Amino acid sequence: MELIKAFLRRPAAASILSLIGVLAFYVVFGGVDLFKLAKAASWVNFAANLGIVAIPVGLLMIAGEMDISIGAMIPAGSITTAILSGYYGLPMWVGMAGALALGVLVGTVNGLLTVRTTVPSLIVTLGTLVGMQGIVLAAAVLLTGNASVTLAAPDWAKFVFGQLIGGSHQVIILWWLGLAAIFAFVLHKTRYGNWIFALGGDKVSARNAGIPTERLTITLFILSATAASFVGMCQAIQFNSAQVSGGMGYIFNAICCVVVGGVILTGGFGSVIGIFMGTITFAVVAQGIYFTQIDRNWSNLIIGAMLLIAVAMNESFRKLALSQVRRTAKKEA
Amino acid sequence: MTVLTTHKGGFGRLARRPEAGSFLGMIVVYIFFAALGGQNFVGSPGWSSWLNMAAEIGTIALPVGLLMIAGFLDISVGAVLPASSLTVAIISGHFELPLYLGVAGGLAVGLLVGFVNGFLVTRTTIPSLILTIGTMFGVMGLTLGLTILIAGSTGVFIVPDTLSHAIFGAALGGMFQIGIFWWLGFVALIYGMLHLSPWGNWVFALGGDKESARNAGIPTRALTIQLYMLSGFAAAFVGVTQVITFGSAQVAAGSSFIFNAIMCVVIGGVTLTGGAGSVIGIVFGTITFAIVNQGIFFSGLDPNFGSIIIGALLLTAVLSNDTFRAMALRYSARK
Amino acid sequence: MKLSKMLATTAVLLIGASSAYADGAKIFVIGGKADDPFWSIVKRGAEDAGKVVEAEGGTVTWLAPQNYDNLGVDAAELIRQAIDQGATAIVGPDWVPDAMDPAFKAVVDAKIPLVIYNAGGIEAADRLGAMNYVGAVDYKAGVAGGDYLGKAGGKSGVCINSLPGAGNIEAYCKGFGDGITAAGGKADVLPLPATAEGNVTAVSQAIKAYLLQHPDVDSVFTTANLDAVGAVQGIAQAGLTGKVKVCGVNFDQAILSQIDAGTQACAVDQQGYQQGFYAVSILNGYVNYGLTIPTREILTGPGIVDAINIKSTLSGAKEGTR
Repeated sequence: MELIKAFLRRPAAASILSLIGVLAFYVVFGGVDLFKLAKAASWVNFAANLGIVAIPVGLLMIAGEMDISIGAMIPAGSITTAILSGYYGLPMWVGMAGALALGVLVGTVNGLLTVRTTVPSLIVTLGTLVGMQGIVLAAAVLLTGNASVTLAAPDWAKFVFGQLIGGSHQVIILWWLGLAAIFAFVLHKTRYGNWIFALGGDKVSARNAGIPTERLTITLFILSATAASFVGMCQAIQFNSAQVSGGMGYIFNAICCVVVGGVILTGGFGSVIGIFMGTITFAVVAQGIYFTQIDRNWSNLIIGAMLLIAVAMNESFRKLALSQVRRTAKKEA
Repeated sequence: MTVLTTHKGGFGRLARRPEAGSFLGMIVVYIFFAALGGQNFVGSPGWSSWLNMAAEIGTIALPVGLLMIAGFLDISVGAVLPASSLTVAIISGHFELPLYLGVAGGLAVGLLVGFVNGFLVTRTTIPSLILTIGTMFGVMGLTLGLTILIAGSTGVFIVPDTLSHAIFGAALGGMFQIGIFWWLGFVALIYGMLHLSPWGNWVFALGGDKESARNAGIPTRALTIQLYMLSGFAAAFVGVTQVITFGSAQVAAGSSFIFNAIMCVVIGGVTLTGGAGSVIGIVFGTITFAIVNQGIFFSGLDPNFGSIIIGALLLTAVLSNDTFRAMALRYSARK
Repeated sequence: MKLSKMLATTAVLLIGASSAYADGAKIFVIGGKADDPFWSIVKRGAEDAGKVVEAEGGTVTWLAPQNYDNLGVDAAELIRQAIDQGATAIVGPDWVPDAMDPAFKAVVDAKIPLVIYNAGGIEAADRLGAMNYVGAVDYKAGVAGGDYLGKAGGKSGVCINSLPGAGNIEAYCKGFGDGITAAGGKADVLPLPATAEGNVTAVSQAIKAYLLQHPDVDSVFTTANLDAVGAVQGIAQAGLTGKVKVCGVNFDQAILSQIDAGTQACAVDQQGYQQGFYAVSILNGYVNYGLTIPTREILTGPGIVDAINIKSTLSGAKEGTR
């Protein structure tokens, strides 16, 4: 009993339960073959591409901020890589450095505007989102005359960033696992992690406690923008082409992953394992429908329902956890 | 100590109103595009272009702004718009029932979704951003599934009768869509509700501090549900006018309204944290946004740069609002 | 004890149930997103052919991306997913050859019969080792529109691109430009910002403004259903009805009524229903009975719907098959 209570208190609990619920739904109502689903690469690839972006977006949310410009940063990363190394024929590492540098630049802009003004990060990143959508389109059309750009990456780049393991699993999955491990370590085992939680709890108290809040916030924004352009870069290398787009889909998907994973919007609570499981759950929901005979027309309805149920579960478990703490505190008083 | 000579209610006071920033922004963008766009932009083609766009986004931005003042977000407006258009089209086009029934159906869909949003936001602790993203997906899914199930395709076609077309879809002078006058009507209505009635005070109080508002005896739950039903209604209304004006409704419509409405509200000086804002500011913000969006096509600028200009203008407008507000607070603090 | 036995039996039954249909063809169709007016018709064609497939013990599964933000990448992933899920036949469009060809090669390497449809042309089918190509080519659809408007007297045209970046839309506009230039005119593209997406009023106002600023333009080519309706409104508001001709890709009842009323000159028909229907039927025949269609290129378009053949097209649109 105590074990179950302890499990429910962890932020990842609801996402694990949602995952079980979603799988049960698909098996019972969709006739899904679980073995086939487990072997399939499609949802894992989807999860990896989304997951690398979801983790820093989640860290920002724990710190009490929001970054929606990632939607435009993913195509920005792939277009930059493709234009530099594909269209202009510059060496591969130039294209890669360009994409990552763009991420650093946009992240810095986001961070500076958020800390130096009282404009909320949602609005700041909305502005950079729209701006980057325009820059990516203008750059592609004016420089190359096309809205999609080809790239023929050299073998070493393909091996590290763009190969298929076993013919089906993208190597970015390994990058995702590695980055998740690093972020989990930083968030839960280092003082930087404590700082992030403190920042999300109360910004003023955090600053008074001596935490370098401004530098921390800017660093987090740089991480999220660079992670997004990294994903775009990998896609350009793997798929030999980059496409201009508005990227709105990524935004909602990333927020869903983070929120299903137990991170609360107001900040101060969450875990990397939770975001990781939330990403897997979302990927199974979004891609699992293809393994069923349920009409695709209903897929958004299923996504919406799953999101609401998962978040509601998150809220109840968190309340349970907090009430448990209060009860224990009272007992000890 | 500097003594500022002020006339009673002089220019200084006007400049410190929260709407001053958005008003200034509106004038600046108008002059910018007038210089580039020439005769067409300052004449009725220009005015009608951005007014037509402002009317639609503005109608939705008003209740979205109210919600933001009260401390909430509504992302589902983007899905309610096509849901309402298709309801009208299916009832009156596919099933060929009279158009007033279709319109009633469309508006009812908006009110229903708004009620569900408000109910869930007040009964659970799910934040409004996530909740309305969830209802957005849900409504999108229902719209597509039901439309294909009933009508067999993603778009439905209607031929509006002359009376309905005159009420909802006429174009006066060939260019100015009647939605403009509906919008102005809504502006007057919402202005009265927010700034001239106790209900409006409740909305500001709710945005300031929810707990204190409830303790002060304000029916916060009912108020929140009313606000969400208002935004659902507005989105449904725009859906109705669009389907009657153009005679066609498609499932894949409305997505841009979500962030566009938020942009208009923010340019208009409403803060995201709630508790401050004004209807006039939202109107200025909407006009600014519409001028920027449509002005590009009158200027000689490459439309590929369109999004860059919009993004830059959004940031400039928001930053200048921010500066104005800081100046205003500093001045009053100095006194 | 009883619970675990029940779970085990359920699991076995479910796995067994899914293998009961191993007799027929397991056809996977990769297509556009479900709320796309054109692709919902293609899906309808595939599903109607699927009725025969299912009667013979097979299945037709439709795989589509969530949106068009990353067409090539998403579609390539869906192709590989079809292989993973044990497809015995695959239908796919070659929207972005650079991104999707490796995935198609994997299909052929796995000895799964492949039909390319909707994009890529017979060249793609030859290059990839597919059985047939079924469909029109987006580029050629644009050319047909440009050619029609050019021959109708158009000297200066504009292609409305409300989804910059999507490969199919870009191909339409390129084709339009080449078509009208070949007929003696010139062409330009009007890209719309993301803030106009899904907003027919914004599109119509933008077209109105563009036409007033560029008074020499007399032909408008649209690449989306709502854009065509918006274009006619925009032209009316600019007071240019009759002076500016509109043609567009795809159509629905609203567009057909515009052609009937004379406010739209033509619509380019790719007969999406046929693309889905024939691609699935060819593969079903091959997997079950070894039948082939030696005419490897099966063109379903581009056809032109204009005032001449409007009446017959109207009845089909009502059914949701045109």
